[in-house]
Amino acid sequence: MPTTSSPAKKLFDTVLFREIWEAMKVTFRHMFHRPMTFEYPREKRTIPDTHRGALALLRYDDGQERCVGCDLCEAACPSHCIKVISEEDKTRPLQRYAKEFYIDITKCVFCGYCVEACPVNALAMTKLYEYSTPDKRTLLFDKARLYEIGERYLEDGKRYLYAHNQEKEGEESRAYRYQFPVPVQKTPNA
Amino acid sequence: MSQETGQPTVTLTIDGMTITVPKDTLVIEAARQAGVMIPHFCYHPKLAPDANCRMCFVEIEKMPRLQTSCSTKVAEGMVVRTTSPTVQQARKSVLEFILANHPLDCPVCDQGGRCDLQDFSHEYTPPVSRFTELKRVFPKEYFSALIETQMNRCVQCLRCVRYCDQVMDVKALAPQGRGTLTEIKSFGHHELDCEFCGGCVQICPVGAITSRLSMYEFRPWMLKRAETICGYCGDGCEITLQTKENRLIEVNSTLGGGRNNADLCARGFFGYHASTHPDRLTTPLVRKDGHLVEVTWEEALETVAAQVGWVKDEYGPEAIGGLISARCTNEDLYLFQKFMRLVLGTNHLDSSVRYGYMNAIEAFRRVQGLHRWTVTFDDVVAADTLMLIGTNVTETNPITGLKIKEAVKQRGARLITLESLKPVRGTISNIATLATHHLELSPDQFGIGVLGLIKAVFEQGLVDSALEQEAPEYVGALRTKIEAITWDRLLAHSTLTPSMFHAAVRTFEQGARSIVVVGQGVLRSPGGYATMVNIHDVLLLLGRLDRPGCGIAALAEENNEQGAIEMGAVPDLLPGALPVSDPEARRAVAASWGQEPPRTPGLTMMEMIERAKTGHLKALFVVGENPLGSLPPSAGVAEALDRVELLVCQELFLTETAQRAHVVLPACSYAEKDGTCINTEGHTQAVRKAIEPLGESRPDWEIFSALSVLLDSPMEYETAKDLTKEIRNMIPASRVLGPAPLPPRPDREVLRRYILGGYRDDLDGRLTPPPVTKTTGTMTLSFAQSLFHSGKFSTKAKGLLKIQSAGVANLNPQDAERLGVRTGDRIEIRNEGGSAITPVRAWERVPEGVVVFPEHFDQDLRQVMSVTVDPRTGVPYCKLARVSVEKV
Ligand code: SF4
Ligand code: SF4
Ligand code: SF4
Ligand code: SF4
Ligand code: SF4
Ligand code: FES
Repeated sequence: MPTTSSPAKKLFDTVLFREIWEAMKVTFRHMFHRPMTFEYPREKRTIPDTHRGALALLRYDDGQERCVGCDLCEAACPSHCIKVISEEDKTRPLQRYAKEFYIDITKCVFCGYCVEACPVNALAMTKLYEYSTPDKRTLLFDKARLYEIGERYLEDGKRYLYAHNQEKEGEESRAYRYQFPVPVQKTPNA
Repeated sequence: MSQETGQPTVTLTIDGMTITVPKDTLVIEAARQAGVMIPHFCYHPKLAPDANCRMCFVEIEKMPRLQTSCSTKVAEGMVVRTTSPTVQQARKSVLEFILANHPLDCPVCDQGGRCDLQDFSHEYTPPVSRFTELKRVFPKEYFSALIETQMNRCVQCLRCVRYCDQVMDVKALAPQGRGTLTEIKSFGHHELDCEFCGGCVQICPVGAITSRLSMYEFRPWMLKRAETICGYCGDGCEITLQTKENRLIEVNSTLGGGRNNADLCARGFFGYHASTHPDRLTTPLVRKDGHLVEVTWEEALETVAAQVGWVKDEYGPEAIGGLISARCTNEDLYLFQKFMRLVLGTNHLDSSVRYGYMNAIEAFRRVQGLHRWTVTFDDVVAADTLMLIGTNVTETNPITGLKIKEAVKQRGARLITLESLKPVRGTISNIATLATHHLELSPDQFGIGVLGLIKAVFEQGLVDSALEQEAPEYVGALRTKIEAITWDRLLAHSTLTPSMFHAAVRTFEQGARSIVVVGQGVLRSPGGYATMVNIHDVLLLLGRLDRPGCGIAALAEENNEQGAIEMGAVPDLLPGALPVSDPEARRAVAASWGQEPPRTPGLTMMEMIERAKTGHLKALFVVGENPLGSLPPSAGVAEALDRVELLVCQELFLTETAQRAHVVLPACSYAEKDGTCINTEGHTQAVRKAIEPLGESRPDWEIFSALSVLLDSPMEYETAKDLTKEIRNMIPASRVLGPAPLPPRPDREVLRRYILGGYRDDLDGRLTPPPVTKTTGTMTLSFAQSLFHSGKFSTKAKGLLKIQSAGVANLNPQDAERLGVRTGDRIEIRNEGGSAITPVRAWERVPEGVVVFPEHFDQDLRQVMSVTVDPRTGVPYCKLARVSVEKV
C-alpha cells in the first residue's frame, strides 16, 4: 500500500471495503475458468501412451508366453528389482523359459530400461497405477500377477510399445516381434 | 639366440611394436605376446593350425595377399599389421558371411555374454545385416542328456572335432555335409556316446555345443568363480567351480592353469553335483534307543568327548583307532593324525592309501629312499619311451592319460603297455591302441608280466654295465633266480611269446627319457608290493632309475593320497613321511607340537579291524571312509563294527558304515572348504571354497579342533590357513604351491644300500611266480574303476549317473557267445563266497576269460571277493576273484 496516500483516500477506501473487493475480484474471475483439479477417484485423468505405469508381461496372440527367460531385463534394471529364474522347458526341448519371474515394484523406479532390454517385447508398461495396499508383500509381483496385468491391460501395453517405437502396429509388426527358431525334430525315418 | 634358454629367436614388428619371440612361433601367438589380440575362431593353442575360418587375417609386408596369422610362422624382420583398413574390411566380410546364417539366438544362448562371435560382431560389424535370405535351420535328430548341440549356431571352425581327435583321441565328432550346411555330429544316428570330457563344450568359440546339465540356469555375468582342485582322482586337475547364489552351476578350466592345462575328464566336468546331493547329512546324529536322531552340535560333540574319554581312561589309548579318507584336504589329514596321536595318544590311524597306493610308497621308500615321484607330468610329456603296467590310465587317471597321449601322438614317444585290454577302438579311447608293443595280460598276471620283463632284460644282455660293476652280487642273484623260472611257466596262461618281451625291453632300453607308469592293476592285486619292487629292479638293471627324466610314476586313485602320506595319516609315518620310530623325527615333531607323539607301533586298517573283532579296539573314528562299503563281507567289517563301543563317523552321506555309527557328524565336501591337497605327482595345490557349507556341516579339521578342546588338549586354529602354515613349517617339501612341482632325486645312499644287500630280504618271494590257480570253466572277475565314476562318492553326481547309473559285467564277445548271452542279458556270477545276478555287456576290449565290473556298483557282487592282506604293507587285496559265470 502506497505510504504516500492521503488520509482522505484512506478513509474512502475503508468505508467502501475496497480491499475486500480487490480480493473478491480474483475469486470471481476464477468462477468462470475451467477447473484445474478433478475429483479423483470419481474422475480420472487421461494418460498418454508413453506413461510408465505398472509393468506387465505379455503373451503372443496365440496365447503363448512371450518371455523367453533370457534374464536381460534383470541385467538392465538399475534398481535390481527383477529376478528371473529360467530353465529349459520340459515339454519343448531346448526352449528357454522363465520358470519364475519377480518384480519388486516397491523398488522399481519406472525407468523402463527393462522394457527396452527385452528382445521379444515381453515386458511393457501399462497405465495401471492403482495398487496401493496395506500388505506390502503383495507388491512383489510374481509371474502370474504380471501376466494377469498383461491380460487386463493388454491394450495399454501394446500402445506403450508403439509409443516408444519398440513395436510397430499392423503388418509391419512382425519384424519387431522376434520369435526364436524352434528346434525341429527330424522323424527317425525321414 | 635367447640368452636364457639358448633357443633360436626371431625379431619382428607387429603394429609398430618390436618383439622377439622363439623361432617357429605363430604370428597370432607373437601378437598375443605383444598384447595384440587377433580375432580368431579356429585357432587354439592346443590344436594344430587348421586355418579354416579366415578370421585371423593380417597384412604382412612383402607378402602378396592377406595371411592367416594362425598358420603363418614368424620370420626375421617381418612387419605385421593387424588393424589396417584392408584387414578390417576382411574381418567385416568374414563376419558378415558367418552372420548371414547365424540365428539371433544370443538372448537364449548359454554362450551369450562370453561368446567370441558376439564380441567380434560387436567390434567389427555394422548393426544391420545386408542379407535378407532365410537362415539355415538344421533339423535335430536326437537330444542328448549331457552334451547338446545346436548346430544353427555353429561357425564350422572344427575346433571340437579336432580337440576330440588330437587331444582326447576319442574321435566321437565328425563334420557331415558341405559348405554352410556342414553339421557337427557323432558318427551314426544316435546321441553322442563318448568320454564326455566336456572339451568340445569348452573349446567351442560359440554356443553350438553346450552342457545340458546347467542349460539356461545362468548367465555368465551372474556366476561367482572359485579356482579349486577336482576332488575325484589323483591327477589333481585345476577346475573353476562356478556358482550362482550358493548353488553349483558349472565347471570350467583355464588354459595354462593347473597341471591339466584346461583339459578335464567327465568326472571333473560333469560330476560336481555330488557335493550338493539332497541326501547330504546336514545335522549331527546321535544314536538313542537304537536310532540315529538329530541333535545339536554341542550335544553330539559332548557325547563323543565323554565316551572317548571314558574308553581312554578305562582301556587306554591303545583301544582307540581311526580311519580317514584320502579325499580330505591336507589340513584335515594333518589335524586328524595330530588329534589321534596327541589328544588320544595312539598311533592306530590309517587312511585309504592302504587300499593300494601304499604299496608304491613303501617300494619307493625302500629302494629310492623317498615317498614321491621323481618325475612330473612334464617329464611324461617329454618322455621318449613310456611303459604302462597294469593301468588303464584313460579310465583311472584320465589326465595322466592325456599326457601320455600327447607324448605319443604329438611327440612320437614309443609306448609299451602291459594291460588287460584288447587294442580295439571304442566309444572311449583305448591307450593300448597307441602302443608300439602291447603285452596283453589277464588282470591277475601283471606280476608275471614284470618277471617276464626282468627275464627279457637278462636274455637280451641289456644289464647296465655300471650296475654290474657296482653290485655284481645283486645282478647275479637276480639272474640266477630269474633263470630258474622258465618262459613256459611264466606264459602258461597267456598268448604272449618271449620274443614279445624281448622286443619290448629292447625298445624301452633305447629311450633316453624312459618312464614307467604303474596303476591300480599292480597296486591293488595280490603281490602288489613285490611287483612294485620288481619294477624298480627292471629300471635298476637297465640303468634308468637314477637318470634325470626317467623314473616310476605310480598313480594315486583318490585326489589326496599323496597328501595322506606326507601328512602322516598312516600308522608308521609322522608328518613329512618320517618314520615314527626315528628318534630324530620324533624330536622334530615334538618341537612343533610341544609333546612327543606316542611311541607304540600303530595298527594298519586291517589290523584294526581284526583287533575290533576280538574286542580289543573299543572306539573307532571313521572320517569320510567307508570300510563296510569298500571291503567284501568276508573281511568281517560288520562283525568288527558291531563290537566297538564307540563308532564316530564324520561323513557327507549316511554310508553303510555311518548307518552303524553311534555318532555321525556332518562334514563338508571339497566345494565348501579351503585347504590344500597334493596330487599324485607330489604337487601341492590350493582347494578353495566355492559355496557355504550345507546345513550345519563343518570342515573335518574344525570338528577335530572342537573335540580337542572338549578333551582338554586344545588344538585351536582360526582358519584352514593357520593349519596350512603349521604344515608348511613342519614339512619343507609341501611349500611348493605354484605352477609346477619340484621332483626329488632318488637318495643315492638308500639306493646303494638296496643293491648292496637290501634287495635280499624277500628276493625268493618276489621272484617266484604265483601258483597257478586257474581251474577250467572259471573266469577272472576284476573290479575296475570306470572313467565315469570315482569310488562311491561320484554315484551321487546326477550328471555322471546320466552316463553310467548301474553296474554291468563286461565280457569279451567270444565269451558272451560261448555263454549264450548278448548285451542286455543277465548272468549269474558265483563262487564259494556267494553269487549275484547282473546285466551283461559284450565289449571288444575285454580279454577272453575276464569279467570286468565297475567297482562303484559292486554292492551285491562284493560277496564273491575274498581278502588277502599283503604281508609287508598290510594292503587288503579284494579286487580279483575266480568265478563261474552262467546265463540266467
Ligand atoms: S522400470 Fe526400471 S527400475 Fe523398474 S523394473 Fe524396469 S528396469 Fe527396473
Ligand atoms: S528381457 Fe524379456 S524375455 Fe528376457 S527375461 Fe526379461 S521379460 Fe523375459
Ligand atoms: S553363439 Fe554367440 S552369437 Fe550365436 S547366439 Fe550364441 S551368444 Fe549369440
Ligand atoms: S560346434 Fe563349435 S567348435 Fe565345433 S565346429 Fe561348430 S563352432 Fe566350431
Ligand atoms: S577326475 Fe581326475 S582327471 Fe578327471 S578332472 Fe578330476 S582330477 Fe582331473
Ligand atoms: S583362426 Fe586363423 S583361419 Fe581360423
